[in-house]
Amino acid sequence: MDTGLLLWILARATGLSSYAALCISILSGLALRTSVLDFLATNRAIRALHDWTTWLWMPLGLVHVATLVLDKTARIAPLDVVVPFRTSYGELAIGLGTVSFDVFLIITITSWLRRRMNDRLWRWIHRTSYVAFGALFLHAYMAGTDFDSPLISALSWSVALGIGVLAVSRITLGRLPE
Amino acid sequence: MRPIALRLAALATTLFVFAGSVDYAASHVKNVSAPLQPPVADRPSATPAPAQPTPTPLPPLVTQRGRTPVPTGTPAPRLTIAPGVRLATLAPLTFTHTS
Repeated sequence: MDTGLLLWILARATGLSSYAALCISILSGLALRTSVLDFLATNRAIRALHDWTTWLWMPLGLVHVATLVLDKTARIAPLDVVVPFRTSYGELAIGLGTVSFDVFLIITITSWLRRRMNDRLWRWIHRTSYVAFGALFLHAYMAGTDFDSPLISALSWSVALGIGVLAVSRITLGRLPE
Repeated sequence: MRPIALRLAALATTLFVFAGSVDYAASHVKNVSAPLQPPVADRPSATPAPAQPTPTPLPPLVTQRGRTPVPTGTPAPRLTIAPGVRLATLAPLTFTHTS
């Protein structure tokens, strides 16, 4: 297998698996403020899962970005990884991925610095994860090579819709009843 | 459920998705309906493209001895050379034989 093909397969696989891990992270984060996963475990265990999932989605997301930068066909410059909407093609589709990458990076770093931060500020920064997830989903929908596969599309849409319903319920109803 | 069991379940789910994605991407390397198609056609080529053959101009039609040309409604035939056919450096054909 040549290097270009290996990079291309890795970029697609890490993109999808990073999306899956991030969905688990967002669901476990939502579960802390709702009661949807109360049947599964205590809030403490869900919190431990939420913290730990960073170590799942982050390396996969970094490999996704790195392989696309190294892949000559994709034509993604290193600056495109942090500065959105400046690629020579698919500006919006790729730019949304850059926006979500940047926001998730800020959320992760501020979470590590939480004890040194103002709690109110940290919460507002953490809430932008909903926006980042929306941008990520649109990036996957508009740029995802495998998104037209019925199985991948069905799974991605259902998880995103589930997260959307839970997020709206959390915002409008507060902590959901058991 | 214990925290370690939750972590293992999350890890197993992610690994399962990764393995499934590798398998799917390896068996569907190219997707013609992919939403993003990077422009690769205008990429500069490492080797220069071979020169395209140019068709030789047709010689004027020489009529046969003593006969008047029969007017026809059809246009004069045009010679087209397929790519890859090389031109010979021979004298152009200016007459035909009749039996």
